[in-house]
Amino acid sequence: MKQGPCSEEDCFSLLKQFEHVLESDPLIDEVGFIHPSQFIMLDEEASSSNVYQNEVQPNNGTSRKFWNKDHKLGISTDILVQLCKYAKHVFLLALDEYKCHGNISCSPCTPESEVMKHSQAVLLLSSDFGTAWNARKLILSKKDQLSAFTEELRLSGLILSNSPKSESTWSHRRWIIKMISQRFSTPQEIITKESELVESIGERSKMNYRAWYHRCWLVSYMEIEQVIQELNKSKRWAGLHVADSSCFHYRRRLMLKILESLYVKGGNAYDKSEARKIWKEELDWNKELVERYVGREALWLHRRFLSLNWIMYFACNDSDVSPEPGESIIINEEIAIFIDNEIQLLESSMTVPDTKFEDFQAQALHAAVYMLWLTKKMPELWRMLEEKLGTEKVKCVMSTIALERPSLLHHLVNV
Amino acid sequence: MADKLVADKHLRYILNLMAEKKKESFESVVMDHLRMNGAYWGLTTLSLLDKLGSVSEDEVVSWVMTCQHESGGFAGNTGHDPHVLYTLSAVQILALFDKLNILDVEKVSNYIAGLQNEDGSFSGDIWGEVDTRFSYIAICCLSILKCLDKINVKKAVDYIVSCKNLDGGFGCSPGAESHAGQIFCCVGALAITGNLHRVDKDLLGWWLCERQDYESGGLNGRPEKLPDVCYSWWVLSSLIMIDRVHWIEKAKLVKFILDSQDMDNGGISDRPSYTVDIFHTYFGVAGLSLLEYPGVKTIDPAYALPVHVINRILFTK
Repeated sequence: MKQGPCSEEDCFSLLKQFEHVLESDPLIDEVGFIHPSQFIMLDEEASSSNVYQNEVQPNNGTSRKFWNKDHKLGISTDILVQLCKYAKHVFLLALDEYKCHGNISCSPCTPESEVMKHSQAVLLLSSDFGTAWNARKLILSKKDQLSAFTEELRLSGLILSNSPKSESTWSHRRWIIKMISQRFSTPQEIITKESELVESIGERSKMNYRAWYHRCWLVSYMEIEQVIQELNKSKRWAGLHVADSSCFHYRRRLMLKILESLYVKGGNAYDKSEARKIWKEELDWNKELVERYVGREALWLHRRFLSLNWIMYFACNDSDVSPEPGESIIINEEIAIFIDNEIQLLESSMTVPDTKFEDFQAQALHAAVYMLWLTKKMPELWRMLEEKLGTEKVKCVMSTIALERPSLLHHLVNV
Repeated sequence: MADKLVADKHLRYILNLMAEKKKESFESVVMDHLRMNGAYWGLTTLSLLDKLGSVSEDEVVSWVMTCQHESGGFAGNTGHDPHVLYTLSAVQILALFDKLNILDVEKVSNYIAGLQNEDGSFSGDIWGEVDTRFSYIAICCLSILKCLDKINVKKAVDYIVSCKNLDGGFGCSPGAESHAGQIFCCVGALAITGNLHRVDKDLLGWWLCERQDYESGGLNGRPEKLPDVCYSWWVLSSLIMIDRVHWIEKAKLVKFILDSQDMDNGGISDRPSYTVDIFHTYFGVAGLSLLEYPGVKTIDPAYALPVHVINRILFTK
C-alpha cells in the first residue's frame, strides 16, 4: 500500500507510542497489522466486555494507531511504512553509537538499552532485518543471566506470531538455544517447549519449511527417551494433518534417530525389539491412514521410508551391524510375507471404484509409484511382483504410471 | 492465456523497480535488507534479455561497493551487516558487468573461507547458522574468484553428501527435509567441484520429476505443495546438471511460466495470477532460458549466470 510522507515529529511520536506500548505490556504474545477500519470493531468488542487494558491514547485527537488488549497488539496498516523506515533509521543510529562509544552514558538510557529498544520495534515490523537480530546477539553474548536469553525466546516467539516464515527469526532462536546449552545446561523443558511452539505455528502456517526444519534441528538435542515421547505426542496432530508432508518428515527424522541409536557402541544401544514395535506400529497406522484418506501423497511417501527401512533393518536376519548401502537384500521368509502384504495393498489401492473421483485415481498412481520405487531400491522385488500379480496386472500397474509419470519408467531395464 | 514472452514489458517492469528510490510501499521497505539479491535478480534478467545496457553500470557498481563491510563480506544494503547471501550476489553482479577486477579478491575470499567449519559445512556469517545453501554460495563464489583452494573442498563435499536423504534429495543439514532449493545448492556445489558422481542421479531425478503437476505443467518444491514458477529454476537446473531434464514435460512447463506473466504491466508471478515480483520474474526468465526459449540467452545451471559471462571468467587469467 502506498503512504504519504510523514514529518520527523510525527514519526518520532509514532515510534515513541509504539515503544511505550511494548514496554507497558511485557506479556504481549501476539502482534498483527490491522486495517484502521478494524480498530472501531475491536473497540466495540472491548467496550462490550467493559474492560480496557493499556489503552493507548493518541496525543492530539488524531486517530489511534495501536491497539492493545488481552496482551494482543495491533498496529494500524496506514502507518507501517513511515514507522518501519523511521524505526530502522533510529536503530541504525543507535547501533552506530553503541559500536563507537560502547555502553557509556550519563543518562539512564544507555546505548545498549537504546539498541535493544529500537531493534525490538524494527523487528516487530520487519522480522527479516538481519542486522537488527545481529545487534541483539552482540549485546546478549555479553550477558550471563539465563533470563536475558529466555526473554529473547519470548520476543522471537512474539515476532513469529505475525511472521511464522521469518528465516532470521528461526535462526535467532537456534542461536539462543545454542547459547543456553553452552553457558547453562539444556533443560529438556526448553526443547519440549520449542517443539510445541512449532506445532502450534504449524497449525496456522501449513508445511512451513522453516518451522519444521527447526523442529528437526531440535532432535539433535534429544535423548532417546524424549525422541520416543515426541513420536507419541505428535502422532495425534499428524493424523489430523495427513497432507502435511513436513510433519511426516519430522516423524521420519525421529525414527531415523531411533535407528541410529540401535548401533551405538558401548552398551548404550537402544533395545531393538522396542524399536521394532515402534516401527511396526507406525507401519500399521500408516496403512490405516492410507486406506482412510484416499490419494494422499504424503502418506504414501511416508510408507516408502517405513517399508524400506523395515526390510533393511528389522525383517532382515538379526544383526548388530547396520547394513551396508547398496548391499543386496536376501529375501527371507519374513521379508517375503511383508512384501506379499504390500502387494495386496497395491492391488486394493488400484481398484478404482469410480473414475470420476480424482482421489481414487491419485490413490492408484501413488500406490503404483510406491511399489515401483521399492523395486528401484530392491531389484529383487520385481520377480515377486510378477509372480504374485502376473504379467497382465504388472502391465496395468505400469500403464497407470505411464499416464502421469512416464519418465519414471525410463530407467527400468526389465520391463 | 499467453503464447509469448513479453520481454519489453518485463524490461520496463524491472527498470521501474530499480529506479524506485523513495520506497513508498511496505513490501519494498521490508525487503531493503536484501536489495543486493534483488539487484542480482533484476540485472541477470536484463542480461538474459540482452538489455543490461539499459542500466547505469557506474551507478550500480558503486552502490554495490558501498555495501562491502570491513570484513570483506557484502551486506544486503549500505550500512547493514555482511552475509554470504549478499556476498555471492555482489560478486555475481560485478561478473555481469565484467568488473570483477575492482574487487580485492583476497579480502572477499578470506571472508568466505573463514566461514568454513570443522565438519566442512559453512556458516552464513559470524553468528554461525549452518545451511547447505551457504556451502553452495562459498563454492560458487570462490570458483568465480578462482580461489577454491582456500577452503577444504573435500570436507565441504563430504558434508554436502552427508545431507543426502533416503529419497535421493538434500536438505539444509543432515536429516532435513528434501527441498528443491536446497537440492539445487547441493547439486550445484557438487557440479562445480566435479563431484556429481556422489549423486544417485536416477533416484534424485525421480524425486525431481515428481515435482511436476500433471494439470498445470508447473513444478513444486516438495511434495503436496502447489506449483510455483521459482521451482522452474531450481528443479530444472538440478535436472540439467544430472542429465535428467528429459524426465519432465518441457512444453507444459513453458506454458505454465508464460501464463504466469502480467501481460499488461510486465513481471512474472509465482503462478497464473497478477501479484508479480522481481524474484519470480528472474526465475521465470531463467527457467525459460534453461528450456531454450527463443530470445532468451543461455544461462549456466550451476553458476546461475549467463553462459557468456561464465565463459569470460573461465577464459581469463
